[in-house]
Amino acid sequence: MRYSDQVLKRVREPQRVGTLPAGAGVGTGASGTLDEGTVTRIDVRLSGQTIVEARFKVFGCSAAIASASLVAEWLEGASLDEAKGLTAERVTQALQLAHERAPMARRAVEAAQRAISAAETKNE
Amino acid sequence: MIYLDYHATTPVDARVLEVMLPYFGERFGNAASKHHAFGWAASDAVERARKQIAALVGASSKDVVFTSGATEANNLAIKGAAEARRGERDHLVTVATEHKSVLDPMRRLERDGWGLTVLPVSGSGLIDLEALARAITARTALVSVMAANNEIGVLQPIKQAAALAHAHGAWFHTDAVQAIGKVPFHVEDLDVDLVSMTAHKIYGPKGAGALYVRRPSTALRAGKGPSSATAAEGKRDVKLAGQIDGGGHERGLRSGTLNVPGIVGFGHAAEIARTEMAAEALRVAGLRDRLLERLQARTEGMSVNGAMDARLPGNLNVSFAGIDGEALLVSLDDIAVSSGAACTAAEPSHVLVALGLAKDRALASLRFGIGRTTTLDEVEYAAAKVADVVTRLRNMSPV
Repeated sequence: MRYSDQVLKRVREPQRVGTLPAGAGVGTGASGTLDEGTVTRIDVRLSGQTIVEARFKVFGCSAAIASASLVAEWLEGASLDEAKGLTAERVTQALQLAHERAPMARRAVEAAQRAISAAETKNE
Repeated sequence: MIYLDYHATTPVDARVLEVMLPYFGERFGNAASKHHAFGWAASDAVERARKQIAALVGASSKDVVFTSGATEANNLAIKGAAEARRGERDHLVTVATEHKSVLDPMRRLERDGWGLTVLPVSGSGLIDLEALARAITARTALVSVMAANNEIGVLQPIKQAAALAHAHGAWFHTDAVQAIGKVPFHVEDLDVDLVSMTAHKIYGPKGAGALYVRRPSTALRAGKGPSSATAAEGKRDVKLAGQIDGGGHERGLRSGTLNVPGIVGFGHAAEIARTEMAAEALRVAGLRDRLLERLQARTEGMSVNGAMDARLPGNLNVSFAGIDGEALLVSLDDIAVSSGAACTAAEPSHVLVALGLAKDRALASLRFGIGRTTTLDEVEYAAAKVADVVTRLRNMSPV
């Protein structure tokens, strides 16, 4: 259970934890179930073609927390195109996650993509 | 960094290290060298340590067999007993909460054709003596029940369990690694046949362990209790089959050059434990109780795993609702504790599962081990830190 400093920093001093109040341009996405041991939720606020705010909540292990935290960090200020191009592989690589932790990165990216789709709907 | 993982290992006591050092230097002899002073000095030191260890558990020093540690001692006890009794008996009994170094040899023997009964425990972690009595038959070669559990610290009723084994002519082994030096443990009072021990849990070095192996004469010499009668009848003639062949060291039970510095350290650690145990147990139990009290005051949704009234003084094992145990452990950046947790496809601790804990509770557990160097300030800090992290992780949860 050894983690990179990138993971440890985000678990011990998490940034962007929370939710965004419902409203125009705000979308929420979730991935995972309690039975699976991980639930990742990501909220984004879209303004035009840019994500101006992102928050996350996680029930799960360190890899899940760090993945969601990093995804929220990347999303904030990203264009829609950049955000949609985000991959789990990039998260795994940036956090130096071991192969068996990769599903945690996929949860975060899946929650983010769902949040972006929901935000686009509300943005229209 | 605050160390609260004394069940995993303990630091070598400075007094222990001091007596060990000459045996790395000028007294480097091989204890098996019979023809010169180097060997005699090493041999004398080993025999002195053997007496110190025997004194800690009320044994005759001749009944102490040195091993590399408790895993080897458990393997020697179980496989050695099975091999010695093969053909005569074909059944083994143990408990679901045993250490893997007991369960795995048992399962290997099961694959080799032995019958195996793995007894469940109650929610408190204690064995049911009636169930144990039902499990043991005239075909049972060995019963193995650990004295104190390494995760939940629960103390099993060893004396009663040993009596049940002996009633059917089975030998009784106990993994007493966590118990010796922490709580009173006397091989004659308990009437046990095989006892696994290790130095590094009692402020001695790693790599030095021992197996107490009762010889029939021990009970006869003691001249008391039911063991005398059974030994006289030859039923307790505990003759193990050695599992490491070579020079015939250690009564032929464990060949291999003895780890003289380690054994010397083990002996001195045993002597310190024997003289300081009573006072230290009280102090450590006080710190443990304070830790529990502080955690209960600051943290909702916390439950204690295992019985509190039959427990090692320095052990506390708790579960927290609504958080992931691995994230908790990683968040405790300046406290060294253990958890039954891992990530993703995690399998929770087999001990906590045996208590009947749901998987999420078993995964969200912490094991605190309080020991000789633990202070009140450390306990207060740890309780506050754990409570803060638990709150933060719960606030982070979307469910």
